[in-house]
Amino acid sequence: DQVLHIVPETFQQVQHLQLLCSTLMLDLWKPLVPEDVRAGEDLHIRIPAPLVQEVKDSLDQHMISYRVLIPDVQKLVDQSMPRERSSHRQVSGGYVYTEYHPMEEIYQWMTQIQKNNSELVTQHFLGKTFENRTMYYLKISQPSNKPKKIIWMDCGIHAREWISPAFCQWFVKEILQNYKSDPKISRFLQNLDLYVLPVLNIDGYIYSWEKDRLWRKNRSPYENGTCYGTDLNRNFNSSWGSVGVSFNCSSDVFCGSGPESEPETRAVAQFIKSKKSDILCYLTIHSYGQLILTPYGSTTKPPSNSEELMQVAKEAAAALTGKYGTSYRVGSTALILYSNSGSSRDWVHTIGIPLSYTFELRDTGTHGFILPADQIQPTCEETM
Amino acid sequence: ELPPSHFPAARAAAVALGYLRYLRGGPGRGLELRALRRARRQDIDDVGHKYYLELELEDVLDKDRTVSCTAEVLYGLGSNSSAPDVQITVQGELSSTEEADKEFYNRIRSLEKELVAENIPDSHGNVPPELEPIHLLAWAASGYVIWQNSTENTKFHLAQVKHVKQLKRSDEDLQFDYMLLLHEMVSQEVIPWEVAVLWHPQRGARVCRD
Repeated sequence: DQVLHIVPETFQQVQHLQLLCSTLMLDLWKPLVPEDVRAGEDLHIRIPAPLVQEVKDSLDQHMISYRVLIPDVQKLVDQSMPRERSSHRQVSGGYVYTEYHPMEEIYQWMTQIQKNNSELVTQHFLGKTFENRTMYYLKISQPSNKPKKIIWMDCGIHAREWISPAFCQWFVKEILQNYKSDPKISRFLQNLDLYVLPVLNIDGYIYSWEKDRLWRKNRSPYENGTCYGTDLNRNFNSSWGSVGVSFNCSSDVFCGSGPESEPETRAVAQFIKSKKSDILCYLTIHSYGQLILTPYGSTTKPPSNSEELMQVAKEAAAALTGKYGTSYRVGSTALILYSNSGSSRDWVHTIGIPLSYTFELRDTGTHGFILPADQIQPTCEETM
Repeated sequence: ELPPSHFPAARAAAVALGYLRYLRGGPGRGLELRALRRARRQDIDDVGHKYYLELELEDVLDKDRTVSCTAEVLYGLGSNSSAPDVQITVQGELSSTEEADKEFYNRIRSLEKELVAENIPDSHGNVPPELEPIHLLAWAASGYVIWQNSTENTKFHLAQVKHVKQLKRSDEDLQFDYMLLLHEMVSQEVIPWEVAVLWHPQRGARVCRD
C-alpha cells in the first residue's frame, strides 16, 4: 500500500479526486471525507497495493501531480510495532524458547536437536500414547569409558501445565549451549547422563491446544467412550487408589482402571524399572504452586532418607530464590498440598530411587496454569 | 500455631484473599498474596475451626509496595455450612484507584455497543491492555465466589474468564455478567461459574447474582 500526497489545483481536479475516492473506496487520511477536499489544500490518500498503478495512471491522465508520501505502509507499521517475540530470541536453529510450542513443533525440535548436537544427544523411543503417538526422550550423554549414573526428568504429565514442557526444552537448550563453556555443566556431564522426556502426556497436551486449554488428564476413553481421561499422576503403582483420587472417570483425579492402566504410565514405568539401579535422581515437572515436593502424598510418615531429601530440596529452593527472588516452599506433598496416591514421584521412590522430586513451577495462582509467555524465560532461568 | 507453608493455613489464606478482593478489589486494583507470615488455629467446640492469619499483600498494579494485614477465618462445622466468616484488617493504606476508576467508568459508559469478550487471558496468557480492568473486576467477582464456597478441604483460584458480557443499565452502575472458570486445587477440577457483578467508582463491586 502507498500513501500519496496531492495538492489539487483546480475545481475539476477536486471533482475527479472525489470521484476516484468514492468509486474505488480509497482511504482518505487527510481530509477525512471527500466532501472536504479543497483546491490548494493538502490531500493524503492511502491506496491499496493492487490499485496503486491504476490510480497513478488516472492521476497522470488528468494531469494531477502527486508525490509518494509513504512508499510501503506495511513496513512502517511493522517498524513501529513492538516485536511480539522476546528480544532474547534464542537462536538454536531459530527455535524460540520464549514461546509455547504445539506438539508438532516439539517433535520437529527434538529431531533438530539431535541432528545439530549428535555428539551429545540421541533421541529414543519410549512408548506410545493411547492415541498411538510416539513418546520420545532425549539422552544427553558425553561419550566416555566410565559407566554413568542417570538423572531423569519428565515434563508435561498434566496437559494444561504448559510451562512444564517449555522448561524441558529450555533445559536441553541451556545444557547444549553451555556444556563446553560452563565448568559446572561440563563436570556434570562427565559423571552423569541426562534423560529428558519433554512431553509425557502428548495426547492431553495436543487436546489442550486444540480443544480445552484447561484439560489435565490423558485421552483414553472409559464408559463406552462417554468419558475421557485418566490422571496419569494418580495412575502409578504407589498406594494406587488409596487416597486423593476418584474412581469416577469424570473426575480430574480419576486414577484409571488399575495401577499402570494407561499406556503412557506403562511406558515410563517400564523404562525406569529397567534402569532402576543407575538412576540417581528423578524429577517430574508440573505447575503451578512454586513448590519442591518430596515423597509421599499418601502418608505423612516421612521416607527413610527424608533428611537428605529435604536438605537437597532446600538448597535447590534457595538457589532458585537467589535468581529473581521467587520463593518456593519445600516439603512432602501430604503436608504442603494435599493427600494423593499413585504419583510417579512416589512410585519411583518406592522402587528404590533415592532422590525423587516434584517441581511445581510458577506461579502461585495469579495466572495459574495460563502463565504468560513472557514469564517463560525468568521461570526457566531461575529453575535452571 | 501452624506452619505457614502447610496446606491448612494456605487454604484459609486463600479464603481471606478472596474476601478482601471482593471488598477492596476492582478494575483499578488487583490484590495478590505475597506471603503468609504466620498462622494459628483455634478449635471452638460446637462452632468450628478459626484461623488467625498474618498476611502480606501486594497490588499487582503497584508491585513495589506491600501491605500487611491480619485476618480471621472461621469455618463452620458440618457439610451444610454457610460461607466462612471472615474478618480482615488492613494495616496502612491501599493505593488510591480514583483516577483509574473514573477513566474506566467513563470509557465503558461511552461505548456504543455493550462490551463482550472471552478467554481472558488467552491460551498463551495474554490480556489486551484495554481488558485488564475487566480482568481485575473478574478477580473481585471471583473473590466473592471463593469466599462463599470455600471449606477447609478446598482451595480455589481463578483460572480464566471464559466469557464476559456487559449489560446496559438505566441507573449509574455498570453491570457485567461473567462466566468464570475456577480451579479447585484439591479435586483439581475446573468449575465454570456464572456471576453477575455491579460496579460503580464510589460504591465498588457488588455481586448481584451468583
